[in-house]
Amino acid sequence: MSAQARSRVAGGERLAWIFADRIGRQTRLHYVFANGASLVDVGSDAAGSVQSLTPVTPAAEWYEREIRDRFGLEFENLSDDRPLVRVEPPDELRKRESPEISTVLYGPIRSGIVESARWTIDTAGETFVEVAPSMFFKHRGLEERFVGVELELAPFVAEHVSGATASSHAAAFCRAVETVADVHVPERARAARSVLVELERVAQHLDSLGKLADDGSLSVGSAQTFAAKERVHRLLAAGTGHRFGRGVCCVGGTRFDVLASLREACDRELEEVERHARSVVQTLVSTQSLLDRLIGAGKLTYEQVVRFGAVGPVARGSGVSCDARTGDDYFYTPLTGEEVLESNGDAAARALVRAAEIQRSFQLIRNALSANPPGDWLAKAAPRDGCGFARVEAPQGELIYFVRIEGGRLMRVAIRPPSYANWPLFVPSLPGNIFTDFSFIEHSFAASQSEVDR
Amino acid sequence: MSWIGYSLRRGILSTRYPLRADSMAPAYRGAVESLPANVEAQALGAGACLSSALTAAGARARVDRKRCFQCGECARRSPEAFGMRNEFELAEVAGNPDEVRSLLRERVRGLGRSVHLRHVDAGSDGSEEQELQAIFNPFYDANRLGIFLTATPRHADVLVVTGVVTRAMAQPLLAAHEAMPQPKLVVALGTSACSGGIFSRSIAVLGPVSDVLPVDVFIPGTPPSPLTILHGLWVALGYAAARGRS
Ligand code: SF4
Repeated sequence: MSAQARSRVAGGERLAWIFADRIGRQTRLHYVFANGASLVDVGSDAAGSVQSLTPVTPAAEWYEREIRDRFGLEFENLSDDRPLVRVEPPDELRKRESPEISTVLYGPIRSGIVESARWTIDTAGETFVEVAPSMFFKHRGLEERFVGVELELAPFVAEHVSGATASSHAAAFCRAVETVADVHVPERARAARSVLVELERVAQHLDSLGKLADDGSLSVGSAQTFAAKERVHRLLAAGTGHRFGRGVCCVGGTRFDVLASLREACDRELEEVERHARSVVQTLVSTQSLLDRLIGAGKLTYEQVVRFGAVGPVARGSGVSCDARTGDDYFYTPLTGEEVLESNGDAAARALVRAAEIQRSFQLIRNALSANPPGDWLAKAAPRDGCGFARVEAPQGELIYFVRIEGGRLMRVAIRPPSYANWPLFVPSLPGNIFTDFSFIEHSFAASQSEVDR
Repeated sequence: MSWIGYSLRRGILSTRYPLRADSMAPAYRGAVESLPANVEAQALGAGACLSSALTAAGARARVDRKRCFQCGECARRSPEAFGMRNEFELAEVAGNPDEVRSLLRERVRGLGRSVHLRHVDAGSDGSEEQELQAIFNPFYDANRLGIFLTATPRHADVLVVTGVVTRAMAQPLLAAHEAMPQPKLVVALGTSACSGGIFSRSIAVLGPVSDVLPVDVFIPGTPPSPLTILHGLWVALGYAAARGRS
């Protein structure tokens, strides 16, 4: 059963996701592979215990651990048998007793304005020896929350998975349903979704860079980066009615003619937003004192990224091509410019990828706005039964949704957020770095804990 | 290029709110207004609400603002019964607003000129944190109002809690509250924190912040905008009266 999955791993395909779906009393495992621009789903029924894929790829580890914790399925030869979903009493995580090494519990509440997660950090003096994450403090049962919700309202649930990247989540959910419903989404709606996702990318990349500047004690640099981000949110508020562009996407298109209102808002403000963002980013990436802190921090090799199946700016910062926008003629017509790749694999490389992508996003926004496809923005979707996948290049990378619809009702929604694909690499990026690098590396990943915990 | 020169060229961006009025974009969906309409029209809109914020009743529907996550769907489906307004002063207090206001003023008198916030994420969607961070950006500059952020519970005056409280976060949240000195204020930031929002019936979560801690001020919104947050903090400090009551 998992033999086919194994041979795909051996054949060099990227394992993008493993998830479980329970139909009646039967649990079905889905192994999802990325093969160029398409996703391949190898599904199989599972019972009792299943051979783990971790001996052949570390990318399987978090998926299998989560399925074990949530569905009670056992995986033989799983490389790490600690719980991932259940939150252990912290004392059980302190395993190392050595005079040179001390263990620090960092979280779940940390200083500043941060999402909750806990790290068990073993250090020898200043350097990291081992770091173990405890996730799912924020588990809100979002995948279950979708079940039975009216299709027209369900995108609002998707927007709760990660509020900061709500447009990507809503768009990915809608696309997954649209593949099942076989609806032709009007080009006008696709252009609008494209503008929303790219504006979201600009805002979130600025957020990551602003936090890095703050970590580097560049108070003016970070204030100006957050000011540029603020302009994006104001533009969105004027163009969509919401500062994060929520409440816009729906199955079959958009809820109102948002492209028209976005065009109006962009006519007035886009130039200033872009000027501010471009100039602040340019200044940041040429500030030597910041680069000094980022260069060499949290280094990931090309091979590590490939083996763990990381996505988005984390992958591209290590020279690994992975952009769901490439070869996607759904949203991004016309897609211009090359995929942004850096090769150093450190926090600096990831920051440079984000800086360059901000510029590319503005280009994509202008393309979609000036294309201004005429006509309707919402097509009627006839409810049909079946399963569907969709992916969207969210700010942190490839986001995948799975939906199963029966009798016109949502029976199962599963989500593979980009942060989930990237987080397991955070741990191997740390050893050898010093304590004060932690936040630089964390903010260069820019993972969203809420979408990981779901 | 020097950063000082950079920001001088950018000029002064900051609002003077709440000392002077400010406003959100006309299209901003801040608050639901319920209009006089027949019960069918009310029920049509109420049926669109994933967080049960609306109840059809009498001449116009009842709106629980703490439950509204600003999707606008009620107004889209039933424009006769509901409208969205770009209102942003959404904070509510538990009890009579005037009495609570003087009580709050009494409590913050001892704090001196500046107040320090401590933030705890009890299960947010991640955007509440970004909007809370935004009140310190040059457009809002909460420091000008004497509002600061602190990392140490011992220096904290106001506990700002984001998100619905998950099972795993209840204990850490209580401990964080415990560690703060008296007098302390608790602010629930965001619709999920205020009421549980769309998670009300979810078994994975415990419930709104007020199920775990005594909440002084509720700041609804998904997420609340920075102006909404400034207003809510102003209410918490007893400088402004809350609009509604809950
Ligand atoms: S959550 Fe949406 S449907 Fe419910 S009251 Fe608010 S705007 Fe209306």
